Amino acid sequence: MTATATDTAAAPHAEPIQATPSGSLGRSVRRKEDQRLVTGHGRYVSDFQLPRMQHVAFLRSPYGHARITSVNTSRAEQSGRRVFTGADFMHVVLRARSSLPSYVETDQPVLAHEKVRYQGEPVAAVVASDRYLAEDGLELVEVNYEPLPATVCAWVSPREPVHPEAADNVLLERVFETGSVDAAFGDAAVVVERDLVTNRHAGNPMECRAGVALWDPSDRKLTFWSGTQVPYIVRNMIAELLDLPEGNVRVVAPDVGGGFGVKSVLYPEDVALCLMARAMPNVPLKWVEDRAEHLAAATHARDHRYLIKAGFASDGTLLAVQADVTVNVGAYSVYPWTAGIEPLMAGGLLSGPYRLDNYRCAVRGVATNTAPAGPYRGVARPASVFAMETVLDAAARELGMTGVDVRRKNLILPEDIPYKMPSGLVDDSGHYVECLTKALDALGYDDFLAEQERRRGTDEPPIGIGFACYNELTGLGRAASAGPRMPFRTGHDACTVRVNPDGKVTVFSGVTSQGQGLETTMAQIVADGIGVDYDDVEVRIGDTDESLWGFGAFSSRQAVIGGGAAHRAAAAVKEKVLALAAGLLEVDAAALHIENGQIGVVGVPDPALSIAEVARVAYLESHRLPKGIEPGLEATKFYDPIRGVFAAGAQVAAIEVDRTTGEVRILKYVCVEDAGRAMHPQIVDGQIVGAIAQGIGGAMYEHLIYDDAGNLSTGTLLDYLMPTSAEIPEMTIEHVSHPAANPLGVRGVGEGGTLGPNAVLAGAVSDALGIQIDTLPITPSTIWKELQ
Amino acid sequence: MKCAPFDYVRAASVDEVIRTLVGANGEGKILAGGQSLVPVLALRMARPSVLVDINRIPGLGTVTRDGSDVQVGTLTRHSVLAEQIHHPLLAEAARWIGHTAIRSRGTAGGSIAHADPSAELPVVAVGTGATVTMAGPGGTRSLPAGELFVSALTTSLAEDEMITSVRFPVPSRWGFAEFARRHGDFALVIAVVAEIEDSVRIALGGVGAIPVRAAAAEQVLANGGTAREAAAAASNEISPTADLHGSAPFRRAMAAEMVRRALAQAGVN
Ligand SMILES: Cc1cc2nc3c(=O)[nH]c(=O)nc-3n(C[C@H](O)[C@H](O)[C@H](O)COP(=O)(O)OP(=O)(O)OC[C@H]3O[C@@H](n4cnc5c(N)ncnc54)[C@H](O)[C@@H]3O)c2cc1C
Repeated sequence: MTATATDTAAAPHAEPIQATPSGSLGRSVRRKEDQRLVTGHGRYVSDFQLPRMQHVAFLRSPYGHARITSVNTSRAEQSGRRVFTGADFMHVVLRARSSLPSYVETDQPVLAHEKVRYQGEPVAAVVASDRYLAEDGLELVEVNYEPLPATVCAWVSPREPVHPEAADNVLLERVFETGSVDAAFGDAAVVVERDLVTNRHAGNPMECRAGVALWDPSDRKLTFWSGTQVPYIVRNMIAELLDLPEGNVRVVAPDVGGGFGVKSVLYPEDVALCLMARAMPNVPLKWVEDRAEHLAAATHARDHRYLIKAGFASDGTLLAVQADVTVNVGAYSVYPWTAGIEPLMAGGLLSGPYRLDNYRCAVRGVATNTAPAGPYRGVARPASVFAMETVLDAAARELGMTGVDVRRKNLILPEDIPYKMPSGLVDDSGHYVECLTKALDALGYDDFLAEQERRRGTDEPPIGIGFACYNELTGLGRAASAGPRMPFRTGHDACTVRVNPDGKVTVFSGVTSQGQGLETTMAQIVADGIGVDYDDVEVRIGDTDESLWGFGAFSSRQAVIGGGAAHRAAAAVKEKVLALAAGLLEVDAAALHIENGQIGVVGVPDPALSIAEVARVAYLESHRLPKGIEPGLEATKFYDPIRGVFAAGAQVAAIEVDRTTGEVRILKYVCVEDAGRAMHPQIVDGQIVGAIAQGIGGAMYEHLIYDDAGNLSTGTLLDYLMPTSAEIPEMTIEHVSHPAANPLGVRGVGEGGTLGPNAVLAGAVSDALGIQIDTLPITPSTIWKELQ
Repeated sequence: MKCAPFDYVRAASVDEVIRTLVGANGEGKILAGGQSLVPVLALRMARPSVLVDINRIPGLGTVTRDGSDVQVGTLTRHSVLAEQIHHPLLAEAARWIGHTAIRSRGTAGGSIAHADPSAELPVVAVGTGATVTMAGPGGTRSLPAGELFVSALTTSLAEDEMITSVRFPVPSRWGFAEFARRHGDFALVIAVVAEIEDSVRIALGGVGAIPVRAAAAEQVLANGGTAREAAAAASNEISPTADLHGSAPFRRAMAAEMVRRALAQAGVN
């Protein structure tokens, strides 16, 4: 992997941050968390041991759709095990809310009763002193089912509705419409039309879901250690569902072994664990999901169909797009994101970074007897980008243009900014052509074109080149809040910065980390924000009893929003340090500056005072406090960017295909992204590489397949193929840098990488072989079939 | 994904294994490298009452050259097989098994006994005409590999028998070709070509319930046909079934291509 950075014009910041020569931002400082993570001392919930701990196993539905006719727990209970069933928790339901007009609200039970709606749905739970004995206990619980017809495909009529509230299984529908679509199609020189289907797959973090719940009856307090991306949302909902004061619920997300969106959902198992703990006071209850459970019952994603039509003028100008998008949302509308998470994202972002005036897009989320669909890194856009790029390539072919030219013709340009997309979202980037051009240079586009030409007519494997341009919407503030009109807005996070009596700094941030290095990022921001050494800053995250508030990890939001809060809190603390120092030194605060923890007076070479001395006064020597200044050195701030920021990106690749086997070999893969100001270049590149790897997995390997009866055919990693390091090529990652209009100038980078590979690889294979790729994943057998 | 309860016996000798298996009345299972058995136990798809661990029995893990054959002890790890120099075809085949961690635990005898239709070693055994030796209550017996495999994951081994070694003839020329979805995966199709005593044998894996000889393809070559013609014959004489990773016609086509590649590697054109 190579990584280079070029800086171009800086956009104006609201509150520009002072770059000190000794600062840590912009440098790949050693990650705070790596000492423990790489030496095997990570603190994962899966590894938790507590006194008196008991283990939970869930009994899961073997049917995709069935009525539960009886549940008999007596044998399991006679064996001495505690058993819980749907009847125990009938009063508690998960209900994801949205005020979208067409949204049909449905309930998700904690443990299924009456009926089961997907294979793997939890029906009962058994508690025992270890997991083996708990699983033995599952075999003693007798459940009788009366199978019902299952529906697994979202675009066939249901044989039996999943929920009585939605006879047609449609949980939500929305039409995006701008301009005069029909007239624009009338003017089009070329109209291309495609029926595209993307493959259901999932995040599959290395650590599956995990939780430990403990009810302490003496102070009526519930503690839930959970491998979650969203501890504050979990606390809020658990408190509500268990009817507890929110202050009596503590959620702790210690080290979490990957999330990718799968862990940004509150699951029935989480609620069950807390309810069971409440019923078993003082007994910590632990559940660690195994991979088979994870594949069956953690959220899936990307099971979409796009009927898409696009009209172009003879010069390649995109005139109109009309699409009908159906998303398989699975058996339940997940809490809190709802069944709208994927369809609405698909409709809102389908046109991507392209100028478009005439747009009509109907999206719907359809329930089926499959595992619930939820957010997965890149939410819907790996599929919608594939749809959009496919029609661009198709049009280029019909117009006799290159794929590059048709994109250049239509990409939103810097002078178009702010650009109002047809869905109403406002693009603040516009640097797509720059990304694409740079990516083509890094690829060696002309050389590959020449080699492609040379190989034509020979026996050598044909070469194909594929492209994708995308705009990743990141760091969404209240005006563009993530999620479909849910009862809350996820635009803000809080951060507390405390200078301790010894002058070192502790940061209590609302962000969470599943491996992305957020402790490092927050420490860098605060260190530079105050003017102390990076090594003197310690960060606490993931514990709702320690930090004030944060919505968590999703929508590539934490660098922007959590980072913004950290920056503001650091600035407030710095102000107090300076005021206190100014009083002690009897100079004007404006004449002071802080660097490496030392406070200096402008024009005087030696430092006048250290932050440690100021902190000592603030906490221990109140007799020295200047007039009007309170003891303590701490500040808490929120930050909400109000709008979101777009991160521009382009990915291009050259591949070759073995015509006899249909195997695809990636010769070179390039990504150029705009992270704005890259706070930690190595973390930024790591995010991009990891996201592209997941994207390649989705494009070529990963596929969750149900048979018509609702049985998951890919229930273990023997059949569900995750890419290994052997399948992922070396990548070339380059950057353009256009700082965003937020305090740190950052654009989110967590998800963007996943957006390209479907489109890039499908486009490249089509280019190599002249075949049409309408269905994902791209496998040797599907390519081979097209070639016959 | 946790095993059902079972008793565990760490056997010190082959005799002890057989005694324990006899005593288990068909409910006993041998534990070798555990790389196939343990996942099956964890999924509760097998529920033996006794596991007989053979890993500590001395002398079962050696590879020795014996005239025109190579004798492979049942506990020979795939990693050892990959590195030995007596039988280059076996070494090549072993390199295609799983990943490092699996190769350093999994055993040759375990792979043959497990009889996965997509596994490498059973195809090499059929392709080279290997002989499998097993111990049982009535002493030892030997069987050509082609008679051992009955159907997918099923052999003619009795419940109280244990494989002790496998004897692989060393081919004068050989070829090995495999098509898999990912590096280290079980194969979709394996082709093994082995020239033994001047006749070219072709065996295929992944195209049916057990490894099969491509008799028609061998005949094409014996009659002076080309490698391409033999490959075409091989793809016609098999009856593969479809699964998630490939349709029957696709497997047929891959069989032809793998036979062609293996023949080319063996120098048969
Ligand atoms: C992720 C993964 C990938 C893999 N990929 C491949 C691959 O690509 N190709 C491949 O061939 N294999 C693959 N394997 C399987 C591996 O090769 C196993 O090692 C092999 O199939 C079984 O050998 P074992 O020693 O582990 O046997 P075990 O798992 O211990 O036993 C397997 C079966 O054989 C029986 N058995 C074992 N030894 C004897 C004996 N001496 N006599 C009678 N019965 C016996 C056992 O009772 C059991 O029924 C993979 C395994 C994993 C986990």
